[in-house]
Amino acid sequence: MANSTQLAVIGGGPGGYAAAFLAADLGMQVSLIELEKNPGGVCLYRGCIPSKALLHIAKLLNEAEEAKKWGVYFEKPTIDLEKLRTWKEGVVNKLTGGLGVLSKQRKINYINGKASFINSNTLFIDKVDGTTEELTFENAIIATGSVPTRIPGLSIDSPLVMDSTAALALNDIPGKMLVIGGGYIGLELGSVYAALGSKVTVVEMTAGLLPGADRDMAMVLAKSINQKMESVLLNTKVVSLVERDNKVYVKFEGAKAPTEEVEFDKVLISIGRKPVTTGFGLENTNVKVNERGFIVVDEKLQTNDPKIYAIGDVVGNPMLAHKASAEGKVAVEAIAGHKVAFEPSAIPAVVFTDPELAWAGLTETEAKEKGIKVEVAKFPWGASGRATTIDRNDGLTKLIMDPETQRILGMGIVGAGAGEMIAEGVIAIEMAANAKDIALSIHPHPTLSETVMETAEMFFGQSTHIYKPKK
Amino acid sequence: MINEFKLPELGENIEIAQVVKILVKSGDKITKDQSVLEIETDKATVEVPAEMDGIVVDVKIEEGTKVKVGSVVFTFKTEGVETEEKSEPVKIEKPVEVKAEQIKPIEQPTKAVSTGIIEFKLPELGENIAVATITKVLVNKGDVINKDTTVLEIETDKATVEVPAEVSGTVIEVFVSSGEKAKVGQVIFTVSIVATEVVKKEAAVKVEDKKVEVPTPVFQPQKSNDAQINVAKLTPPIIPSRNTMPGKIAPAAPSVRRFAREIGIDINMVRGSGNSGRISIEDVKTFAKALNEKLLTTPVSAASFGVSHEPLPDFSKWGNIEKVEMSNIRKKTAEHLSYAWNTIPAVTQFDKADITDLEKMRKLFGKKVEARGAKLTVTAILLKIIASAMKVYPQFNSTVDMEKNEIIYKKYYNIGVAVDTDRGLLVPVIKNVDKKNILELATELGEISVKARNKKLTIEDMQGGNFSISNLGSIGGTHFTPIVNSPEVAILGVSRSVFEPVYIDGKFEPRLMLPLSLTYDHRIIDGADGARFIRWIVEALQQPFLLSLEG
Repeated sequence: MANSTQLAVIGGGPGGYAAAFLAADLGMQVSLIELEKNPGGVCLYRGCIPSKALLHIAKLLNEAEEAKKWGVYFEKPTIDLEKLRTWKEGVVNKLTGGLGVLSKQRKINYINGKASFINSNTLFIDKVDGTTEELTFENAIIATGSVPTRIPGLSIDSPLVMDSTAALALNDIPGKMLVIGGGYIGLELGSVYAALGSKVTVVEMTAGLLPGADRDMAMVLAKSINQKMESVLLNTKVVSLVERDNKVYVKFEGAKAPTEEVEFDKVLISIGRKPVTTGFGLENTNVKVNERGFIVVDEKLQTNDPKIYAIGDVVGNPMLAHKASAEGKVAVEAIAGHKVAFEPSAIPAVVFTDPELAWAGLTETEAKEKGIKVEVAKFPWGASGRATTIDRNDGLTKLIMDPETQRILGMGIVGAGAGEMIAEGVIAIEMAANAKDIALSIHPHPTLSETVMETAEMFFGQSTHIYKPKK
Repeated sequence: MINEFKLPELGENIEIAQVVKILVKSGDKITKDQSVLEIETDKATVEVPAEMDGIVVDVKIEEGTKVKVGSVVFTFKTEGVETEEKSEPVKIEKPVEVKAEQIKPIEQPTKAVSTGIIEFKLPELGENIAVATITKVLVNKGDVINKDTTVLEIETDKATVEVPAEVSGTVIEVFVSSGEKAKVGQVIFTVSIVATEVVKKEAAVKVEDKKVEVPTPVFQPQKSNDAQINVAKLTPPIIPSRNTMPGKIAPAAPSVRRFAREIGIDINMVRGSGNSGRISIEDVKTFAKALNEKLLTTPVSAASFGVSHEPLPDFSKWGNIEKVEMSNIRKKTAEHLSYAWNTIPAVTQFDKADITDLEKMRKLFGKKVEARGAKLTVTAILLKIIASAMKVYPQFNSTVDMEKNEIIYKKYYNIGVAVDTDRGLLVPVIKNVDKKNILELATELGEISVKARNKKLTIEDMQGGNFSISNLGSIGGTHFTPIVNSPEVAILGVSRSVFEPVYIDGKFEPRLMLPLSLTYDHRIIDGADGARFIRWIVEALQQPFLLSLEG
């Protein structure tokens, strides 16, 4: 006899657990099925959280080095890798453990196992303890997330070739390391290893780092990355990886690429992620998957199978934890019968390098592509008092506005702490604020957040700290 | 020498990219690493740099099109070969690679060369039709198609239509499958065009390593007068990601947007009263109130509300059921007839026509008509009679515009004929009935019925009717109450004629009686006129001379 549940959530990542928790809060009887002992998913176990813990250490190391400029000298740091790893794992355990408690408090039926669909209303669960269970549901939410993409024909099965998960495990600090892919994952993890002492080479197939971000923003970051990394190879492809004598030998192809085989101690492949839509019986349901492997959903996150919803990385880009959580909440409300839709005006994205790069809403690049007329105002951090006090003038804040209404359509920030500040942009975009609203809102002094206000002032040619009259 | 600039590898699983911008044009000088293209893949927008210096000869693609990895974006010549170029007798559009071993004095190339890829997009289907269901994709990857071959079967709200190919060529890739919906302008498949011209002149040949460039004339897909290819570039055929931000976002806070959604208001319809047109909750309420008032004061739309939305019980509780998605035709028929039923205060007037004599004439002349390839049917005769009756009673050839309080009288006589097909009811329209004789009408009726049953009807064939005929005589029945095909104002239902005893000059005689049911819109047609109109038809059937006399 099969057990039954009102709502089955498959996958306990930031999308899945947010959905399960809200559903429980709304009075639903919820089962959350997840392989790990506690909720958390890639974000907490193998993504956002451990990488940020390590990036924090990277920043500390960089600043200690930089302090020389200010007349403060530290001895060269010694790194106790074991202890660092333990601390990082402690962070993960604390947060995931906390989620486990929150799940229990909400009386969620947390099933430790792997679910697959038998049909449109039944799951078969292969539990971690070796037993199995059949679970019928009234509704299900698929939140199976994504996994790192491998390069077909290139990825070799070797402990020397890592994906982001392996890199975060921090088994050692390689002498020479290659990062394939100049996207946010590659740059974040590359920065960590560079700070820990590895000589890191980044190879990117396109013409610039962080493809997709506005070039003026990416340039600011590229400057710092170029200094921290051993080398950055743009317009370059990796054509072969060979393991020999505990080293990886790499051949490149590209205009400025080394023609000889180059030797590395470790290689990190971070060329993107792909949705997990196979291996759990989707074919036994009416759920539709598109040609790119994403589950097709409508604005309520409902799949082609009316009882089944899907959220997060499996339904499309951007593959970001906060997008998944927001979608999870919409899906649950839709299941509860509320009239809702996932219709954000802005989904913020943050690259946690140093400096950080963050944007929300419309980017300049996107506006150009779509032929949307915009007006752009920028404020370089060289004119920011706060940036100068922390010796971080390497920053830029920009606003993308509707030329007619001066409505804020997008915001981009590159600089220290950009990730924290971008939330102001999200609120401005969602509330349909205009440049005047931002310029007239008093921002605290001296903070980096003033740059947002001054950017808006720039639009009117009246920025206090920059003389640039409007034409 | 002429080189090809091909779309480079863009990453795993990326086979196709949308060209957002072409930064070079024919004649431009390019230098290595200069950005020449802006493309958008699933993952990112990327600028593509040139691989070497040169001068652009010919750009092969247009902005906005989708291009496969490895396909030629433009051709360019490396410098120092200009003199040679000028001496070419044929305009060089595209180089063809030929293996060196094959190069002797050039043989006349006799066979066509593949010279371009064009996109087959869903053509314009008619006014207000933006989306169609692809019921059948009749081509597969690799198929060779000829111009005018039927490549798609589509179903719109109005009809099922077969779509022919516009050019001949080989299908490279098909982006849709049967059952999917497609937007007008969406790329359905790509075709590699085959040039049928033969290279006429010998071209200068330059042997260089292993490759040789042979200039060949290029077959240019005729684009200028080709509406199907010129259809505005629309979204790519991938399922649109919900996360791409729309160009215009309503200036309303998330709480306001959600409130609007809860009460069923499209936020984009609401006018904001705030600064920069910002929309407040109050604005949404005001809009909803105004909408309600409008609905209440328009009895027509108010009546149509609340219909057809009663919740259904779970029928599977009582036995097995099967659920089938409504076809577009069925859905549209249902909506349209519900609307007509709710809007039109309809009256149905019955009558019977004695067609005993007409039937004799029909048999007498039937052979003659048959010899001309048509069938002299009662419907064909009725078409002529109704057109004449409409001239006598012009209110039957009108439309009521309640919004403007106007009556629109039409000065042309188009009559729709309901045709029963395996896909549902279709109503092709016979145009200018008054200007055609019965023989012509019979011929046209025959043709259009065949067209309807073979799914060959075009949207055009079904538009512009002023009156409808529904003849169920072949099936049986006495009288029925047809529903007026709005915005028309009347419809004539025809049932099966039977011999009945009719009391004539003191005795019963067997007469062939044709039952007629006329439904009309009582808003514009009075009861007496309805009776007069049907009597006129009855008398014309009984006394065809009336047609000549009054019609």
